[in-house]
Amino acid sequence: MNLDSMLLCRKLTVGYSADHPVLSEIELEVRRGEIVALLGGSGSGKSTLLRTITGLQPPLSGGVSLLGEDMYALDDEARRMLLRRTGMAFQQDALFGSLTIQDNVALPLRELTKLPAAIICEMARMRLALVGLAGFEHRSPAQLSGGQRKRAALARASILDPEIIFCDEPSAGLDPVVAAELDETLLKFRDILGITIVIVSHELESVRALADRAIMFGHGKMLATGTLPELEQSKNEDVYHYFHARSA
Amino acid sequence: MTAAPSIDRASRTATIGVDGDLAIPQAKAFYDCLRALARRRDIRRVVVDFGRAARIDGAGMASVSLGRKLVNKSGKKFDLVNVDAKHQQALDLAADVPPLAQEAEIPTTWLERLGTQVLDLRDGLLASIKLFGDAFKQGGFVLTGKKKLPKGATTSFIISMGIDALPIVCMLSALLGATLAFQGIVLLKRFGAGIFVADMTGLAMVREFAPMMTAIVLTGRNGAAIAAELGTMRVRGELDALDAMGISSSRFLLLPRLIALSFVQPALTLIGMFVGIAGSLLVARLALDLPAGIFWARVVARVDMMDFIHGLTKSFIFAQIIGFTGAYLGMGATADPSSVGAATTRTVVVGIFLIILVDAIAATIGSLGGSA
Repeated sequence: MNLDSMLLCRKLTVGYSADHPVLSEIELEVRRGEIVALLGGSGSGKSTLLRTITGLQPPLSGGVSLLGEDMYALDDEARRMLLRRTGMAFQQDALFGSLTIQDNVALPLRELTKLPAAIICEMARMRLALVGLAGFEHRSPAQLSGGQRKRAALARASILDPEIIFCDEPSAGLDPVVAAELDETLLKFRDILGITIVIVSHELESVRALADRAIMFGHGKMLATGTLPELEQSKNEDVYHYFHARSA
Repeated sequence: MTAAPSIDRASRTATIGVDGDLAIPQAKAFYDCLRALARRRDIRRVVVDFGRAARIDGAGMASVSLGRKLVNKSGKKFDLVNVDAKHQQALDLAADVPPLAQEAEIPTTWLERLGTQVLDLRDGLLASIKLFGDAFKQGGFVLTGKKKLPKGATTSFIISMGIDALPIVCMLSALLGATLAFQGIVLLKRFGAGIFVADMTGLAMVREFAPMMTAIVLTGRNGAAIAAELGTMRVRGELDALDAMGISSSRFLLLPRLIALSFVQPALTLIGMFVGIAGSLLVARLALDLPAGIFWARVVARVDMMDFIHGLTKSFIFAQIIGFTGAYLGMGATADPSSVGAATTRTVVVGIFLIILVDAIAATIGSLGGSA
């Protein structure tokens, strides 16, 4: 295994029953500092794969090596420790409605570190400023727009300076301006904080702006992998159709 | 690691060298060191040397940012030296944080607070009257055949609200009847009037205890469930979806539950009345050796149809209270999931309060009319 390998899936089969796996025999690798997009039509298994990669759903077979550790060979406590080195931004933001935005972002620090309250507060404010939410510290999630909530969720996912962040549909449902701002934030995370990023997305504009590499899924398997220009010129009919459906 | 500060007495400058990572494990020590330097009077300048720094994370950036503020606030100069481009980029993020805007605190006097509460109460009353009126209007549409209830919903609620609640209502009514009989026998036996326990428990179960006990059980069970279901629908945007489709949420959601409760509550109350009397009969049989036939004959002689009508009418009113309270508070939940919990709790508290209030009013009216 490459020392720079952040995520490695070997013969990974995911799904809800062994009779009907969602994705089979997946082989993929994400290296340090990369932004990798997982693409595919609705129901292609991207989100199920992401749940398995992030420890939320055990695989049907095969293995997931995350940050050099065989995740599903670890006991629960060791897996929790491993997952603290990662971040996850959910499609439905998953912010706690009873907490302010600042408290949402500061929650992992309060629960998992012994840092003084002043530093925790400063870190949360810095991260909120980084995602463009300075001044929103005392609002509740219900008082934020969808795009702002997504950015707050991203701030929370990154507050522990994880080595890798997983984002499920980060720009889904956002207007192009807000989506572009979110893309910029993700690029800052990679360029300034050195965070590796895996995104699941349907938004090809965002993927073009962000991803170094994309992996395309369909028909229960991995269809293609490569840079966006490579995939756009793929000879695989499904891959080609995915990128050119609108222009057809 | 952060090296201990070296102090140049001549220039009154303290220099801290960052040696290695400045991350979560090192941030507290680094921050404490800067705080201590900020307090010292013999120092005019604090220098942080990043020449041997490795990784800086958010905690490191925050501790530098906070340290700078503390040192500057104490009138000293703060400088970073030997900062490479990568570290500078990270530290610049901290510089981008604008000062925290203070939340505007609106000072209010007790009179203003009281006024706000009165206005809130008025708004709440108006909204509940509106909901009641809308449900009434929609009920009229359903009765005249202009609109329909969702198919199968009422039957499904009758099963979940009524049949599923039958065991708990029966058990509590039997225990209540038995307890009532125990207490009655102890007192009545002193006067040689033990046989009148049948009159007492029969009347008490039919007029008061069965309607009240059933209402309290159904408030905790069904009222809370209505508030939680409708509150969750509010959080998930389902109520907005109904409004957007032009479908009345009163007809679609409230009426089936209200109709189900209107059947279920009197039915369970009636069952509760007889089960409660059976519980007291059992105790009378065991404690007084009173034959069941005599006990039952006294109940029939004392409790008349008007008593049943009194108890069942109250139970019907209680059903409306439970249904409307649950629906009003559940639909009033906000997008915040914690408001669903609050709505559920308030439904139980407000529901039971209103039930006892109405019961007290009914008892007062009944006693003034001479029927109690």
